[in-house]
Amino acid sequence: MTPVTGQYDAPRQKQRERSGILEQMWLNRFDYLYVLPAILVMLIVIAYPIYYTIDLSFFKTPPSLQLRDKIFVGTDNYAAILSSDVFWRVTMNTVVWTIASTLFAFVLGLGAALALHREFVGRGVLRAILIIPWVISAVAASYIWKWIYHSDFGVIGAVLVGLGLTDRPPNFIDSVNTVLPSLIVVNVWREFPFAMIMLMAGLQTVPEQLLRAATVDGAGAWQRFWHVTFPHLRSVSTVTILLLAVANFNSFIIPWIMTGGGPASASHIWITHIYELAFGRQRWGVAAAYSVLLFLILMAFGYFYVRALSGSERKDHGE
Amino acid sequence: MAHVVLKELVKTYGAFKAVNDVSLTVNDGEFVALVGPSGCGKTTTLNLIAGLLPITSGEISIGDRVVNDLDPKDRDIAMVFQNYALYPQKSVYANLAFPLQMRKLPRDEIDRKVKEAAKVLDMTHLLERKPRELSGGQQQRVALGRALVRDPAVFLMDEPLSNLDAKLRVQMRSEIKRFHQDLKATIVYVTHDQLEAVTMADKMAVMNGGFLQQYDSPAQVFAHPVNMFVASFIGSPAMSLIPLETSTSDGNAVLSGAEGWRMDLSSLNARKVQRATTSKVVLGARHSAIRLHKSAVAGAIPARAYTVEPTGDVTFVQAMLSGAIVNISVPPDIAVFPDEQIWLEFDQDRMHLFDGATEMALNAD
Repeated sequence: MTPVTGQYDAPRQKQRERSGILEQMWLNRFDYLYVLPAILVMLIVIAYPIYYTIDLSFFKTPPSLQLRDKIFVGTDNYAAILSSDVFWRVTMNTVVWTIASTLFAFVLGLGAALALHREFVGRGVLRAILIIPWVISAVAASYIWKWIYHSDFGVIGAVLVGLGLTDRPPNFIDSVNTVLPSLIVVNVWREFPFAMIMLMAGLQTVPEQLLRAATVDGAGAWQRFWHVTFPHLRSVSTVTILLLAVANFNSFIIPWIMTGGGPASASHIWITHIYELAFGRQRWGVAAAYSVLLFLILMAFGYFYVRALSGSERKDHGE
Repeated sequence: MAHVVLKELVKTYGAFKAVNDVSLTVNDGEFVALVGPSGCGKTTTLNLIAGLLPITSGEISIGDRVVNDLDPKDRDIAMVFQNYALYPQKSVYANLAFPLQMRKLPRDEIDRKVKEAAKVLDMTHLLERKPRELSGGQQQRVALGRALVRDPAVFLMDEPLSNLDAKLRVQMRSEIKRFHQDLKATIVYVTHDQLEAVTMADKMAVMNGGFLQQYDSPAQVFAHPVNMFVASFIGSPAMSLIPLETSTSDGNAVLSGAEGWRMDLSSLNARKVQRATTSKVVLGARHSAIRLHKSAVAGAIPARAYTVEPTGDVTFVQAMLSGAIVNISVPPDIAVFPDEQIWLEFDQDRMHLFDGATEMALNAD
């Protein structure tokens, strides 16, 4: 049996363009067979949960009832979410958390990448040290940071008191005003090595001759960076920022372990909030509605990610 | 425009000497090619002149200024690179304007100079394009333009034609030559292609292993190579170098090959041979200095054709002689077949003799 893919047959391919989509599918029927196992797995582990979540988002699931006795409420869950104060606070937190974490992680990573790009003694060791935050377990790191920030026994507080800068150790994660910035610091600390690695890889592709040409043209170090290096890093920067943004939007471990969203929801972001609604308060319907909204937002991110990727590919083909 | 003087220039990387005591003078308005195989130090020398690498010792002057400690931007040079090194995100106009912007020239003057350079290089219609929208030849022209707008004292060119295809290379070769003639520019041009050096340069500096081997006009280098390296490197196909023994027969110096044949020498060549440090002498002959006979002729040496390469205009015949491959050119209407018995007659006036031990050319006086 010979698989009919039509690839080896130019006249038939031409004919195919004229015929309908069904005929095309029929001509390529063996190709579908090859991807069928993968499609089946995807349907079971991805498509069905998505369908079930959407379905669930239209029901009310009181904790007193079993899940199968859920009550259809139409779009009430969505209306309730969009009109609640908590929703807007959590959304604001998520936006601040995502933008600040992404921005600072990227800038810090860029600085580290540029510093490590130069030859100096101990570069390898320093590079290994800087990667540590990214490779250690996020759970362990969260617990350690929780202790570092601790208002009674924390290292930072002890140092500040010891230096005489303050009388009492500051409240980092027990105060509604400082908890989110404190968590962002941990998050940036944890993920800047990722940006650093991405940008270091990008820096290696900056053509040496271009930098030399700029030197001869009279550009100083900063001008060389601005006119040659940075434009060259544009694609890798776009991808890095998008990946960071998606990861930050989806963050769970650090806020959940360090504060559980508290105090008073001041450090709740979408994911922790959804988790608490679903698994803490058994409000499956509302949690599902939240998830659907989150899904839509992340799909938008995904669209830009794919566009950035294909955009850089198009440019590479042109060059 | 200005002259460039290199004095005992040395560049070492640890124990490795990349450039070894190179001294040469490029006169005002001269086109000098630095030529040699990969790793011979030619590009390093160019980068030293540009100031992109620090020198280990020696002195570089451009014009009447010693520039040893000056930054590249202060040396009044412009450079053209092998990969064009155009700024990919900038338009052609912005690429040309960049060196002027870095010098903080007024905007209208930049505009005037860019348009002037574009006109000289016939690329006014390309100014709005991005480098990736240009062909290789156009990109190289933009790179030339970026050097031109600067109005530098010296143009440094690092293998500017190596990335072009063969046809375009020939075309750009004459464009750069024309560029030099029109501008009376001082140009230092690095290439590994001896043909480029021979065809374009006023003078060529042949380098090998970090040493300057010979610095002279292409015609002189071609006609009087100072040693076996230069002899084999310059000219295509390469000069055949045949290791032989000298001996005296009836009071006259003769050469003998491994196959047992003998070659009588003219009195001038005999005098040269007598100056050899040992009995080993290498005979060098370009393809055109050897005549091929299909029957025995007095003074001709028997050999066997090895391969035959017709090129259209001329047919090259390779023969083995004394363990070396000898290249001979014959008119295309003479049919030679592989393994055919042939006789080779060397032109005594145009053949070269080298000392087998020192590899230096032998001179009569």
